[in-house]
Amino acid sequence: MTDTVLTARRGPRSVVVGGMGVLSAFGRGVEPLLGAALAGRAGFGPVGRFEVAGRRVDRAALHPGEPSLERELDRVVDEACGAAGLSAARRAGCPLYLAVHGDPALARAAPVRRAEHAVEAFAAGVARRAGLAGGGRAYTSGCTASADAVADAASAVARGRAERVVVAAGYLVEADQFAVFDAGGALARDGRVRPFSAGRTGLLLGDGVAAVVLESADAARARGAEPLAVLAGWGRAGDAHHVCRPRPDGAGLARAVGAALLRGGVGPERVGYVNAHGAGSVLGDRAEAAALLRALGPVAERVPVSSSKSVHGQALEAGALLELVVTVAALRAGRLPVNAGLLGPDPECPLHLVRAPDPVGPPTGPVAPGSPGGFALSLSTAFGGANTALLVGVP
Amino acid sequence: MSAAGPSALADPDPWRAAADLGLRVLAAGRWPESGADAAPPVLPGFTGSSFSPLAAEAARRCLDAHASGPGAALPVTAVVVASALGDVAGAAQVARAVDGGDRLGPLLFFQAVPNAVAGHLAARRGLTGPVVCVGGVRSGFEVAEVLLADGDAELALLVLVEQAAGPGGADRAAAVLLALQEHCPTHRQLEGARP
Repeated sequence: MTDTVLTARRGPRSVVVGGMGVLSAFGRGVEPLLGAALAGRAGFGPVGRFEVAGRRVDRAALHPGEPSLERELDRVVDEACGAAGLSAARRAGCPLYLAVHGDPALARAAPVRRAEHAVEAFAAGVARRAGLAGGGRAYTSGCTASADAVADAASAVARGRAERVVVAAGYLVEADQFAVFDAGGALARDGRVRPFSAGRTGLLLGDGVAAVVLESADAARARGAEPLAVLAGWGRAGDAHHVCRPRPDGAGLARAVGAALLRGGVGPERVGYVNAHGAGSVLGDRAEAAALLRALGPVAERVPVSSSKSVHGQALEAGALLELVVTVAALRAGRLPVNAGLLGPDPECPLHLVRAPDPVGPPTGPVAPGSPGGFALSLSTAFGGANTALLVGVP
Repeated sequence: MSAAGPSALADPDPWRAAADLGLRVLAAGRWPESGADAAPPVLPGFTGSSFSPLAAEAARRCLDAHASGPGAALPVTAVVVASALGDVAGAAQVARAVDGGDRLGPLLFFQAVPNAVAGHLAARRGLTGPVVCVGGVRSGFEVAEVLLADGDAELALLVLVEQAAGPGGADRAAAVLLALQEHCPTHRQLEGARP
């Protein structure tokens, strides 16, 4: 299996991030999330939102109260469109790509009412309330779902099929997914997510609702908007290995990274930061380290790597978009999110992990992520051997 | 882009949907195919729901019908799973167990997302392209077209699966193996494009 999808191609238009909106365990908006990521301040605590008696693990990273997925999606889409300065008329021509597990009401709907809860009808509802174009496409590929939505939106904009696309995603920790992850033994028994660390025991779930406006650089320029970042490249590849375990040699994820770099016309030496998938699982983190070594070569030993899941947890279908928001915000700040929860090195994960908060001052790293020409990768993997890589740079 | 509901599978016309997007159908398979398909197939490792077994069986029939024949190595092939309701039987089963305070089996863990059966297919048939799951038939064809046109895969296996939404409905699945139509101008213009 070759490490690069040499056939990866894209349309000629440059794709930019025009606006972002987010909710996380740290509150609403980008600033509290970025603050926690840069400080390495984990947001995990006891779950009070639903019954966890009888579960092996009782922790997650939760926004206070009982937020509603529909309302929070409406809010982040509005925040992203507002930040991008989109008028109602521009919104009306803009499609929505939404990543969610499904309509939250489906599993408990009476059988005769289930057909009303199709996931694209749910997406169409979000689009309608936000004043976006009709329809609504839904992505349901687990932890890579929102990266798929970003990649397809980027492809459409790059090819000139759409001037802009709103990509949104949401997961709010709830009893059903918590129960199946607990039953599968996937949750961290010690109540912390410790990506790439010795002694890591698994993942923890976290709230994440996010939206970004992806548009052509020309469209942003034409209305005088200043883009937040360039979405320079994107890549996807499969493991062909197992129903839910990652391919140990990381070849699938390495091909996704290779395709993203190829589309961006960027060599590994220009990557200044990697926001890894880094779920905190024993096998997944090891395979991801192998993938980075394979895809980036010698650069992998010195490029700063962290998994922001170590502070905000795993937001499933929304995870990739939440982490893209963190990555773009960090890139703009010129500072690196901390890989929190480290107990000690794992020799099978020989990565240059971001161990402590950057001193406030000039950006650090081999290519300072906030400097011109600096790029950052945001990686995601999912069951079924799905792998995605998103490459962002400063405009 | 339409929110194609379960009815879209009742009489899918994959050839027309594919042709509209500049794609050709290399092979197709479905379940049920005939009266012989009375009981849902069994898929080891998957439990309590017909979703993954039906998807796997329709895909197997499709790939076995491909000209290269069963067992032949395929080029880089994407797996796209499209379903309006997803594994609704599995989701309802989990909800009942959670509400009743029952223990859940560990197999339900990975079955909670449609990627699981895509991973099963990919591992079994050596399909190394992207794995993507979407909520409708039209979206499935559009995503397959993007993956093929952008060179992420040479072929795309699109699996459409819906369980009965309500009483009296029937579980069904269909699969098509897709490739770009040759000499399609929309796809050719992307060769070597860079911003």
